Amino acid sequence: MASPAATRPSETLDRILRDYQAVAARLPDAAVTRDARAHAVRELSRYGWPKASDEQWRYTNLRAFEAVPAFGPAVPVPELLLPELAPELPPALPGFQRLLYVDGVRQLGAAASAAATATTTAGPDWPAEQRFGLLCDMFASDVAALRIRGSAAVEVLFLTSAAAAGAACYPRLQVALEPDSELKLVERHLGAPPAPTLVCANIAIELGRGARLMHYRLQQCGPRTAFADTLDARLAEQASYSVRQVAIGAGSARTSAQVRLSGRGAALSWQAIAVGRGQQVHDAALKVEHLAPDTRTEEVFRGIADERARIAFSGHIHIAACAPGSDARQSLRGLIEGAGAEIDLRPRLEINTDEVKAQHGATTGALDENLMFYLLARGIDRSTARALLKWAFLGDVLRAIDLREVRRAAEQGAAGQLPDVVAIGALT
Amino acid sequence: MTSAADPLAPPLLDIRDLHVKVGGQEVLRGISLVVRAGEVHAIMGPNGSGKSTLAHVLAGRPGYEIVSGSASFEGRDLFALAPEQRARAGLFLGFQYPVEIPGVNNAYLLKAAVNAARRERGLAELDAFEFLSVVRTKIRLMQIDESFLSRGVNEGFSGGEKKRNEILQLLVLEPKLALLDETDSGLDIDALKLVANGINSLRAAERAIVLVTHYQRMLDFVVPDYVHVLARGRIARSGDRTLALELEKRGYDWIGEQAAA
Ligand SMILES: Nc1ncnc2c1ncn2[C@@H]1O[C@H](COP(=O)(O)OP(=O)(O)OP(=O)(O)O)[C@@H](O)[C@H]1O
Ligand SMILES: [Mg+2]
Repeated sequence: MASPAATRPSETLDRILRDYQAVAARLPDAAVTRDARAHAVRELSRYGWPKASDEQWRYTNLRAFEAVPAFGPAVPVPELLLPELAPELPPALPGFQRLLYVDGVRQLGAAASAAATATTTAGPDWPAEQRFGLLCDMFASDVAALRIRGSAAVEVLFLTSAAAAGAACYPRLQVALEPDSELKLVERHLGAPPAPTLVCANIAIELGRGARLMHYRLQQCGPRTAFADTLDARLAEQASYSVRQVAIGAGSARTSAQVRLSGRGAALSWQAIAVGRGQQVHDAALKVEHLAPDTRTEEVFRGIADERARIAFSGHIHIAACAPGSDARQSLRGLIEGAGAEIDLRPRLEINTDEVKAQHGATTGALDENLMFYLLARGIDRSTARALLKWAFLGDVLRAIDLREVRRAAEQGAAGQLPDVVAIGALT
Repeated sequence: MTSAADPLAPPLLDIRDLHVKVGGQEVLRGISLVVRAGEVHAIMGPNGSGKSTLAHVLAGRPGYEIVSGSASFEGRDLFALAPEQRARAGLFLGFQYPVEIPGVNNAYLLKAAVNAARRERGLAELDAFEFLSVVRTKIRLMQIDESFLSRGVNEGFSGGEKKRNEILQLLVLEPKLALLDETDSGLDIDALKLVANGINSLRAAERAIVLVTHYQRMLDFVVPDYVHVLARGRIARSGDRTLALELEKRGYDWIGEQAAA
């Protein structure tokens, strides 16, 4: 492939616009309206393609996104060919309805349950630091739109098939919870196309008064994927939003998330893990806006960078003047395992009112030699000791993942195979 | 004061003229010590005299520079072995300050440790059931609540509980040589008796125990065959139990003067 690695930002934008012109007529109105797509084009043109010199994009591996051969969406895979082109699906989650999207398009075959998807809403207005969201608004061919009344459990699987290699997929998830409703949502990104591929997902969440969303996010894409997810969540009064995010896969990944606590007493718990090895890059930016009294945020991030991986997490919490009584806690930690690895944690608390409780901390370091020696002195071999300590490092977040299958995937991705651990856990 | 050891057997531990630097400073300045199977040795000495340094160097903690001298374990060069190999060969260090490892299950660590040692000896690994039945008898002996097994290693344990947990590990692992670094400090009298009972239950002709302690009190319960006094990085004096009693009466100063002389 001719390497566009040295392209100027404007060249990438030009390429995106050209690719858009080529496919625009074919893009379905049902997923995103023509107006909304046109709006996204204008916004992206106004922002331009991000530059590494922008503070918000400093740690993103922009080159990986610029190296995507084509921004147009992959041609949908005929269902017949699916078994050949798509990796094996993970086993069904007990009690969950499954929605399956391959290369960004809904599959209605036997593998998918018949959970109805509701009508779509227009996407949010993405700010500059979430401008990758505009790509998905421009190119998306389908949408998983859930409107929940009562209580439900849904798994949305976004699979990238081998047929998408060299093109792009635009998963799109819109979730609205009516007042006092409850949803357990698993959002999982899988698939390892054999050539550079863009997966660019948008997630829009709206929680009505007193609604509760438990959102498990698992990113396990293959190494040749450039993965971007852009998330916008808005919480009404007394709503609660819990996110358990595990980023293990993709060559380069960027999460751009914004959560607005708009109603009194709304609460966010965001607990995320990123594990990188080889040359992987994981970059995440989370902005939380406290816009009403007595709102709460609990933000936990644990990153492990092995070999030459780079991991960044920027956590910005803003407590507005109209949000007295807010409580914000932030705990960011990085573990550097490789000589060439890098971790950048940027906690930021911006408080514009009195009477708030706020706490933040960010630390990055290597494995504690004292802990290491203790394990070695008990005869544990070095690689098991390392795995155990990584495990321990992720402990808080792993324990907070109360869905066993998701936790297992996180544990295995993070610490390698430790077959005995689960047995022991069950035994005691 | 007769020792159960066979004087003709090769020593379990043989340290010869060991010099060790830490942070550029020579902390051990010529230690020689022979420990035979069946023996119990006590090492006493003032703060900073090098007791923990000696224990750590023997167990293989990084950060120490071995300037000269040697240490062998059953005739093998100890310093040629990695810490985990020393442990599997049967050397156990009871830590003066056991670390907390939240997130690593206590039972997991115990089981992994036991099975690492068993593999080394060519024995079949214990399965979960066998392991549990072994551990249960030992935790009863140490009067440790079974719920401790499912907690993180030493996580939130009190000082005394951590020390009891060290002895639990010792009992489960049944090493050939136990180096116990101030396992008695910070224990109330009941816990001290428990720990002493635990240690005594391991006394055997094929095993040796080296107790680092500040207190004669411990030696009332675990009676040593030999007592050594470490001062400024050297064994300033060796004797039998009565040396410990004398130290209790007179303190360390008179030894320090002799060592300096
Ligand atoms: N990492 C280190 N860097 C510098 N000096 C050290 C280091 N570790 C130990 N020392 C020094 O070596 C000397 C011996 O320390 P050690 O811990 O062996 O003493 P100890 O006899 O065990 O004392 P205590 O009775 O207080 O436990 C002390 O002076 C100590 O400060
Ligand atoms: Mg000491």
